[in-house]
Amino acid sequence: MNSRHYCALMTLLLGVFSHAHADEPLTFEKHIRPIFRAHCFDCHGAEKEVKGELDLRLVRLMEKGGEIGPALVKGKPEESYFFERIVSGEMPPGSHRVPDDQIAIIRQWILEGAKTARPEPATIGSGLGISLEERSYWAFQPIQRPAMPLVTNVDQVRTPIDALLLAKMESQGLSFAPLADKATLLRRATLALTGLPPAPEELNAFLADESPEAWEKTIDRLLESPQYGERWGRHWLDVAGYADSEGSTNSDANRQWAYKYRDWVIRAIGIDMPFDQFITWQLAGDELVEPPYKNMTAQEIDKLTATGYLRMAADGTGQANNEENRNQVVIDTIKIVSTGLLGVSMGCAQCHDHRYDPISHEDYYRFRAIFEPALNPKRWKVPGNRAVSLYTDEDHAKAAEIEAQAQEKGAARNAKQKEFMDLALKAELEKVDPSLRESLETAYRTAGDKRTDEQKALLAKNPNIGNLSPGVLYQYNQGHADELKKLDGEIAALRGTKPVHEYIRALTKQVPEVDPTHLFYRGDYRQPQQEVAPGGLTVTAPADSPFEIKDNPEGSPTTGRRLQYARWLTSGRHPLVARVLVNRFWMHHFGTGIVDTPGEFGRLGSMPTQPEVLDWLSDEFMAKGWSLKHLHRVIMTSTVYLQQSKRTPEADQIDGGNQLYSHFPVKRLDAEAIRDSILAVSGKLDKASFGAPVMVGKDTSGQIIINGEVQRRSVYLQMKRTEPIALLKAFDAPAMEINCTKRENSTVATQSLMLMNSDFILRSADFFASRLNQEAQGKVDSSVTNGIELVLPDNGLNNANPWSFGYGMVGEAPEGEIAKVTFTHYPFFGDNTWKGGEKIPDDKLGFSFLNPTGGHTASVEMSPIRRWTAPVSGKIRIQGKLHHPSDNGDGVRLTLYSSRTGQVGQWSAKTGNADYDVTFEVEAGDTIDAIVDRVENHTSDSFSNTYSITLLESDMSLAWESAKEFHGPLDQSGYELNATIAEQIAYGWYLAYGRPPTREEVQLSIEFIEQQVQLLIASKNESPFEQAMTNYCQALLTSNQFLYME
Amino acid sequence: MTGSGTHTSFTRRGFLRENAMGLGMVALASILQEENLLGVPRNVKLGPQKFDLTAKQPHQEPRAKAMISLFQHGGPAHMDLFDPKPELTRLNGKTYDGDIGFSFIKRATKVLKGTPFKFHKHGESGIEMSELIPYMGSIADDMCLIRSMHTGHNGHEVSIRYMNAGIAGVTGRPALGSWITYALGSESQNLPAYMVLTDPGGHPVDSTHNWSNGWMPSIYQGTVLRPKEPRILNLDAPEHLRGDVQASNLGFLGKLNRRHAEKHPGEHELEARIASYELAARMQDAAREALDISKETEATHKLYGIDQDATREYGTRCLIARRLVERGVRFVQLFHAGQPWDNHNSLHTSLPSACRKTDKPSAALVKDLKQRGMLDEVLVHWGGEIGRLPVVEGDPNTGGRDHNGQGFSTWLAGGGIKPGITYGNSDEVGHRAAENIVKPNDYQATVFKLFGIDHKDLFYLHNGQEQKLTVNADAQVVEDIIA
Repeated sequence: MNSRHYCALMTLLLGVFSHAHADEPLTFEKHIRPIFRAHCFDCHGAEKEVKGELDLRLVRLMEKGGEIGPALVKGKPEESYFFERIVSGEMPPGSHRVPDDQIAIIRQWILEGAKTARPEPATIGSGLGISLEERSYWAFQPIQRPAMPLVTNVDQVRTPIDALLLAKMESQGLSFAPLADKATLLRRATLALTGLPPAPEELNAFLADESPEAWEKTIDRLLESPQYGERWGRHWLDVAGYADSEGSTNSDANRQWAYKYRDWVIRAIGIDMPFDQFITWQLAGDELVEPPYKNMTAQEIDKLTATGYLRMAADGTGQANNEENRNQVVIDTIKIVSTGLLGVSMGCAQCHDHRYDPISHEDYYRFRAIFEPALNPKRWKVPGNRAVSLYTDEDHAKAAEIEAQAQEKGAARNAKQKEFMDLALKAELEKVDPSLRESLETAYRTAGDKRTDEQKALLAKNPNIGNLSPGVLYQYNQGHADELKKLDGEIAALRGTKPVHEYIRALTKQVPEVDPTHLFYRGDYRQPQQEVAPGGLTVTAPADSPFEIKDNPEGSPTTGRRLQYARWLTSGRHPLVARVLVNRFWMHHFGTGIVDTPGEFGRLGSMPTQPEVLDWLSDEFMAKGWSLKHLHRVIMTSTVYLQQSKRTPEADQIDGGNQLYSHFPVKRLDAEAIRDSILAVSGKLDKASFGAPVMVGKDTSGQIIINGEVQRRSVYLQMKRTEPIALLKAFDAPAMEINCTKRENSTVATQSLMLMNSDFILRSADFFASRLNQEAQGKVDSSVTNGIELVLPDNGLNNANPWSFGYGMVGEAPEGEIAKVTFTHYPFFGDNTWKGGEKIPDDKLGFSFLNPTGGHTASVEMSPIRRWTAPVSGKIRIQGKLHHPSDNGDGVRLTLYSSRTGQVGQWSAKTGNADYDVTFEVEAGDTIDAIVDRVENHTSDSFSNTYSITLLESDMSLAWESAKEFHGPLDQSGYELNATIAEQIAYGWYLAYGRPPTREEVQLSIEFIEQQVQLLIASKNESPFEQAMTNYCQALLTSNQFLYME
Repeated sequence: MTGSGTHTSFTRRGFLRENAMGLGMVALASILQEENLLGVPRNVKLGPQKFDLTAKQPHQEPRAKAMISLFQHGGPAHMDLFDPKPELTRLNGKTYDGDIGFSFIKRATKVLKGTPFKFHKHGESGIEMSELIPYMGSIADDMCLIRSMHTGHNGHEVSIRYMNAGIAGVTGRPALGSWITYALGSESQNLPAYMVLTDPGGHPVDSTHNWSNGWMPSIYQGTVLRPKEPRILNLDAPEHLRGDVQASNLGFLGKLNRRHAEKHPGEHELEARIASYELAARMQDAAREALDISKETEATHKLYGIDQDATREYGTRCLIARRLVERGVRFVQLFHAGQPWDNHNSLHTSLPSACRKTDKPSAALVKDLKQRGMLDEVLVHWGGEIGRLPVVEGDPNTGGRDHNGQGFSTWLAGGGIKPGITYGNSDEVGHRAAENIVKPNDYQATVFKLFGIDHKDLFYLHNGQEQKLTVNADAQVVEDIIA
């Protein structure tokens, strides 16, 4: 964008103009030119026409001056016209100023005699050129393998990068932290390479393997897993700006075939395709395939699919195919390529020479010219018209053959239909007056628009004939209709056997003509200026051997521009590509890059914290065949990777930002790893690979969620630019405005709310809890769980809801004992009623039933019983009302009966009410039955009986309502303990954290579960035990130990 | 919010030192150097960026501490509401001879249409407003009515994005509220800094882009207060887990997290996440309390029109907006469903209907803030993205007016805005902003100024590139409307 203010500030912060080196003489090239580049050259040097005829590019040109006369008088700032103009604020024009410190530097430079670093050239071409000073910027230097330094603590050196890092640390009195334990390392590596936590079996195997190669074998195992390609493919998709939608407009149309590119990336990373090839195919795969892209081999398809990279930019031309939108696609594509591969934001140079880096306005359009033959706004194809069909001639032939068969079958089917219709007509005609039959048949068979009014009237009068059509044939003869339907099904099935017609979203050169590329004045496509030839960034090639592109080399069918460029980028001589790639690989392992601005290596970005490590790895990467897997092995077997993640105050004093790598960083999992890990741990992750994206939709509150129950890895979910999945977005997954070279890492309350309350997390915790109950038994070393048991009130666990509904009567008991109630649960629940069966009266239980407010009596031994099991001990009060509404019958009788003390009271009601109010003691587990019987007969024995139970004289304020808490069958599934609670706790810990808990941690957890169960019982939760375990699981899944890797 | 320059520098240096591990001493040194040299603190974030919502000192002494924006989607017809045009009335039915950009070509005419509504002078300031908005008329002496807004684009989305995010038509950039919360953080420990009150009828045109954080971290995204339960997504646990059960859950989670953090002393991010859970828990109560308008007096309910059908819904949201800023929320924005002001048809009925919904509650908000002594520090904005054309669209009697981004009206009140004035003028028929033109970037620069932010110095590093809200080089603060 614009912003001189920002630019001015940046120059300050970049420290380019520091006074620090006071003894160093100020020179034009080193000290003044950057100031002019930022503030002056736009008008006085960059373009052919210089304002006021004043050219500031050389000191002697300044001395010569412009319209007004000499602009510079050496040694005399006050007499130097250009300086005076800057000081007065007249220059540069507009509101922005050259900062005071820079003015001071210019002044000092003039005072010192306006020196140059070297004699100035006798002639100067157009433009700013590239000074030696600019060329010497670190990122433009060739990549060179650094010499190995000497270190003291050689035991800590496992790889050359260790030596490089340790040398710097030792100079500050530091060394690497101690090695991390095996469990930590396994979790670290598994999350890093697969985005998922290690399974307990994997940890067990790793712990058991005491061989020296155990770690290397583990790394190899992870690198070979399908999840590796998905994980590291996803990293590349960020850079490529992958999305399953077009973006740019609100409609954000789907990109149906984009996923083919995504799958290609995952496969390529999975097989460790060398990155030189990986890049070349993406930039120029089409130039490696002979047109016309038909009957392609699998590899040819792959090469074309790879060019989907250049089709990732948001594209509004499907909605509005205008020049502005087309140009925007080209601009965004350039940005994707330049930030992703070159680590250079070329955006500045789109409108003018870059103000900080030696990237000229012309460079930008030279770069654009590489892509324009295929990405040409003048010969544009909208997204819908550019998909490449993968149908082969064989597919076409096969499809045609099947279609012919289908047609044949169709003809036979139509003949059959005609036959059936004739039969139906005949049958109907036979039902009418014979005299009318002929005219009716004629009318029917006459085409609708040719019928006479008379015929129409006749048909209207006989609707059974007038309306007869194939669509309603089923009403005339179901068998015939079914037969046709079956044939239709067969034909459809036959057509379904045609080869599936798939497409890819590729970039291909469409026409033989090549339009010249123009430089756009101020970046405005409506103001094209001079033609420019294709080329790379000038500064990236040595001054004496510039990179040049020749069109149509050796008679190739296309210009070959992109292919030549890709070959240059991957030649091993390009200063940026390997550094930029390696820096991002490093970032994915360590959280921050060696250059912290992975998309910007220029002066606007950060300086490398460990340039030697970056260069060594870049050189190693290229030397070992651009193999990412090799690089993983190097990095992950280094001490810097194997060390603990613990800070120490001593190291923090020197290396608080961990730029020396004196410990392994603690990092939050990224969005996909969080979601995928939660699913994996809760046993719900569907690990299927590849294919069309899982579609997203909105839930009732408008949040974007995944449609359906299939929980694939996040990389396979539909990435819609305007509809990011709520969970992923909250954890900083990119929205793909263009692309993403570095993700943010935010910590906000909305994330916490999501982890506390969202449907996704609650359901996942639920699944996790059931998984524990199913699988935990025997999974964890019993020494951490032995003897740890859940201590709960003995009633609570199995009878969370205190109400149950059955039938029976007070039984017989020997003298002096309390008789038991013969209580049997009703076998059937329907219409909000407990009863003997679907229908009342039931064969066995007759009219006996209970509903929320009352019921009906039957024979005495089948009297309805509403049972309350005391969840607590204490004094309770029961207040209620028995009501018998009918004028008939002999009324009903209520017995309140305690399992501890026997009958509490008895009340009768006939055509009216009986109120009751009793207070008595219960102990937890007592049953208090409300038994209603018929008195003498059970005719007209409908009743209502509602009551409340209140716990008195207790700190807990508890009350129960018989009507309100009436319930149907409780879900008792999964209630059975398949493993002890302690085992479940320990296994959950194992799954979530990648290590078993200590005894203390099991103890801590079980105390929590005890507390939960009691609270849940008190709040009348229907399944307090399962809920408590679910809540435990949720705590694990949302804790820092799970969300961070260390 | 009263820090002197020295105080400001001090806190910023303190902040940097505390976060030196993230920023590195280079940045600290640079900023110190910069301050010494220029003496102007800048709100910059450099290097590895740390984002939080702690309250931050602005560049200068602020006038406004909070803002409520009543966004009026669709393009309120300024010549029928805020900008009397006698000349247009005189030329009613005549053909307009200037150039016009139409959006709806098929129904386009060049027949000038004078307003069918009467204008009256209001208050001591004598600002003229239409009979359709008598309540807004009653706050004339508190408002600054800008009659020269200009986006230059007639399309809704194009102009909305210009007003919200600084560049015409471009999506994916942070909205004004994101910028303000990025720069200043939050005064509330219990509520999001940036809240959006959507309409029960649905999202506005351009949907969630209206409160997008763009490429800023999601911490700066507008939190949507939905018009129905759940008011804030994921705010509450399901019924059976609330209260003691959830408190116990969070207690256990806190215990796990503290044990973990103790093993990693000095990892600030772990502490920050623990704090964010605590904030989330507090938010549950605070948000519920802020939304509960039952504690407000009957007089207040009446003032906002909550007792009447036409104004109940919008009045409720205006009142909630006041309650939110009262509790430290930095930026609140109200939206309509769709675009009620997009009166292409039946201007004579659809415009009064849109006015009936908004007039009384909008004015009530200003009155209420004023009587509570809050108006000095709360900036209220009322306006849309475009205005409407002086010519009729469709039938002269039953038709309406087409889009017009060349000129329209907006009003501001409070937060350091000069009260009781009009600013700028449109041409004689109200087609184009003609005098003292205010473009979206000028409006944004002015809002920033009221918050004590220098718009030229507020930027965000995105992919190593500086980004600002006010991208036009000529963006400037409208000093004349600042008291």
